[in-house]
Amino acid sequence: MMRQARTAGAILFPWSHRWLLWSFTRREILDRYTGSLAGAAWALAHPLALLAIYAFVFTTVFRVQLPPGSSSVSYTAFVAVTLWPWLMFSDGVQRGMGAIQANAALIRKVAFPHRLVVFANVLSSFAVHALGFAVAMLTLRLLGEPLWLGRAPAVAFVLLTLLIGTLGVSAMLAAVQVLVRDVSQLVGVLLTLLFYATPVLYPVSLVPAGMRPWLRANPLTPLLERMREILINGSALAPGDLWMLVVAVAIFAAGLWVFERLSPFFEDFL
Amino acid sequence: MASLPRLQREADPDAPVLIRLEGIGKDFPKVETAGRRVSTLLKLLVGAGELPHFRALDGIDLTLKRSESVGLIGGNGAGKSTLLKIVAGVVKPTRGSVQVNGRVSALLELGSGFHPDYTGRDNIFLAAALMGLTRAETRERVDEIIAFADIGSHIDDPLKHYSSGMVVRLGFAVASALRPEVLITDEVLAVGDESFQRKCIRWMERFLGDGGTLLFVSHSMYHVQTLCSRALWLEEGRARAFGDSFDVTQEYLAWHEQKQRAESPGAHVVPPSMPSIRKVWIGRADGEACEAFNQGEDVVVRGLAYSPDGRAPVILAGVVRADGSAVFGTHSNESGFEPVAVGDGLFSFQMILRSVPLVPGKYGFRSHALDPEGLRLFDTVETPFVVKGRSRDYGIVQLPHEWSAGTPLPRD
Repeated sequence: MMRQARTAGAILFPWSHRWLLWSFTRREILDRYTGSLAGAAWALAHPLALLAIYAFVFTTVFRVQLPPGSSSVSYTAFVAVTLWPWLMFSDGVQRGMGAIQANAALIRKVAFPHRLVVFANVLSSFAVHALGFAVAMLTLRLLGEPLWLGRAPAVAFVLLTLLIGTLGVSAMLAAVQVLVRDVSQLVGVLLTLLFYATPVLYPVSLVPAGMRPWLRANPLTPLLERMREILINGSALAPGDLWMLVVAVAIFAAGLWVFERLSPFFEDFL
Repeated sequence: MASLPRLQREADPDAPVLIRLEGIGKDFPKVETAGRRVSTLLKLLVGAGELPHFRALDGIDLTLKRSESVGLIGGNGAGKSTLLKIVAGVVKPTRGSVQVNGRVSALLELGSGFHPDYTGRDNIFLAAALMGLTRAETRERVDEIIAFADIGSHIDDPLKHYSSGMVVRLGFAVASALRPEVLITDEVLAVGDESFQRKCIRWMERFLGDGGTLLFVSHSMYHVQTLCSRALWLEEGRARAFGDSFDVTQEYLAWHEQKQRAESPGAHVVPPSMPSIRKVWIGRADGEACEAFNQGEDVVVRGLAYSPDGRAPVILAGVVRADGSAVFGTHSNESGFEPVAVGDGLFSFQMILRSVPLVPGKYGFRSHALDPEGLRLFDTVETPFVVKGRSRDYGIVQLPHEWSAGTPLPRD
C-alpha cells in the first residue's frame, strides 16, 4: 500500500526519481550521438536542411507571399520560428513512443517507474532541439531578422506547455504501442499529415475561413501561433496562455492515466 | 563450486514480516492474433472482462520475516522466476496481494541495467540510480563497488569490451553496495570464477549473519539447504510442498529420481504358478508399521512369499534408492535362512536392518522371490520408506568416521 501511495505521488512529480530520470535522459542524448563524427551537430543539420528546402520551394519556386502586415520577417525566419517547436513535438512523440520497447530488457528485469524512460526520451528530444532552436534564432537575429529575442521567458513558457502536452501524448502512445505494434506505423503517417495541417509553413490567415475552425481544433495551432506572435511581433505573455497550459496539463493527465493503467502489464507483452 | 558452511537458521517468531504474499496468482495473457491484442487493450483500459490466458501461478502464500531465508525450487516453467519477479515488483500479480516492507534488492539478471557503450564507472551510476540510490549515495560507495568488482583498469573501458564474467562481477558489486534488507536472487552463486564466487559467498555469509533476509531460486539443493531454513517447491504454478528446507529438497530430489525411473522399463507381471512375493510389511522394532525412520534406527521387514511346489523359495531382498539403483541386497540362502512354511504354499520371512546408516532421503525395500535353487528370479515387490535426518551428508550411506587433528604430516 505504501508503495502504491509513493508511486501515485511520483506520477505528477517524479522528484524521488530525479537522478534516474536525469540518467536516462543523459543516456538517451549520448546514445543518439555516440559513434557519430559530427555528434550533436546533426541535431542542427537536420532542421537546417528542412528549413533550406522549405525556403527554396516556397520562396523561389512557389513564391509564397505572406499577407502584408502579418510578418515583419522573411519567410525563412517565419518558418524557422515554428519549425523547431514542431520538431520537438514530432521527434519527442516518436522517440517517446518507442521508449518502452527500446528499454524492454530493463523493464523485464528491474522494477522502476516505466514512465521515466518515456519522459527521458521526450526530454532528450526537447533538449536537443531547444539548443538548435536557440542557435537558429541567434543566427537569424545576427543576420538582421528583427526577432524579439528578449521575449525568451515567454518562449520558454510556450515550450514548457508544449513539453507537458507532448509528454502526455507520448506516454499514451508508448503504452498502447506495447500491445498494438501498428501504432508506431500509424503515428508515422499521422505526423506527416499533421505537419501540413499545422501552421508551420503558412499563417492561419492564408487558410480559407471555412477551414479555420478545423485548424484551430489542432492543439498545436494556438501554440505555434503564439510562438510567432512572441518572437516576430514581440507579444508578451497573456492570460490566454494559461488556457493552453491547462489544456496541455489535461492532455498530460489523460495520457498518463492510460499509461499507468497499462504499465503493470508491459512485462506480459514485451 | 566453492563450499559453504551452513548459514541458515530459524527466524525469530517475533521478527517483523518483510514480505507477505497472499493467494498470489498470475495469468499471462494470450495474444496470438491482432484482433485479440486490440480487445485485450480495451479490456485492460476499462479494467473488466476475462482475458484468454495461461496460468503461471495460482494460490501462492508466502511470508518472510526478517532474517529468514526461503529457497524456491521446482522444475523449469514451474513459476519460480515469475514469483520472484512479483516480489521484486517487476510483474504485477493477477490475483492476491503482495506486501513488501524494507529495502529490497533484486538480482534477477546481473548487469541487466547496464549500457554497453558506457564505461563500467558510468554504468555503476546508472545501475545505482535504477536501484534507487541518489548520486551522492552512489559517489560515497563507488570506490567500494569498484574494489569489490575487482576488474582493474577495465572499469574505465566501455562495457561492451567486458567479458560476461566481468559484467557479472560489476553487477553483483553494485547490488551488494545497496545494502539491502531483502535480497531476491536467481542463481547468482553460480556465476563468475572460483575466486569471485568465494567473494560472493563471503558477502552472503555476512549478509545473512547480519540478519539479512533472502529469497532464493536455485536448482542446487545444496545451496538451498545451506542458505535457506525453509523451501517452497513449486510445480506448474502451485505450491507442492513448503516447509523445512531439508524435508522439501529431499522430497523434491526423490520425486525426480522416481520420475526418471518411471521413464525406464517397468516391472513385469508374474504368472500365478510361479514363486512370488505376496505381502511385505515394514516397520519399527517395536512392531509398529511405519514408513519413515530416523537415521540409525532399526528397520524391520516381514513378508509372505508363495511357492507353487511347497518347497521354500529363496528370497533376495535389500534396499534401493528411489531411482532404483541398489544400495545393498542379499540372498536368504547366503545366511543359511530358509523361509518358514505357514500353509497354503505360503512362507514367512523377516529381515532386520540394524541401525540403518542411510543418508536421509527416499528409499525402497525391494524383495524378490527366486526358485528354491536360487537361480531364477520371478517376482519383485518394492515398499517405499523414508530416512529422515538433518545432515548435509552426500551419497547413500553414512560411513563411520571421526575428525581430529591427527599426527601432523611433515611439511615438504
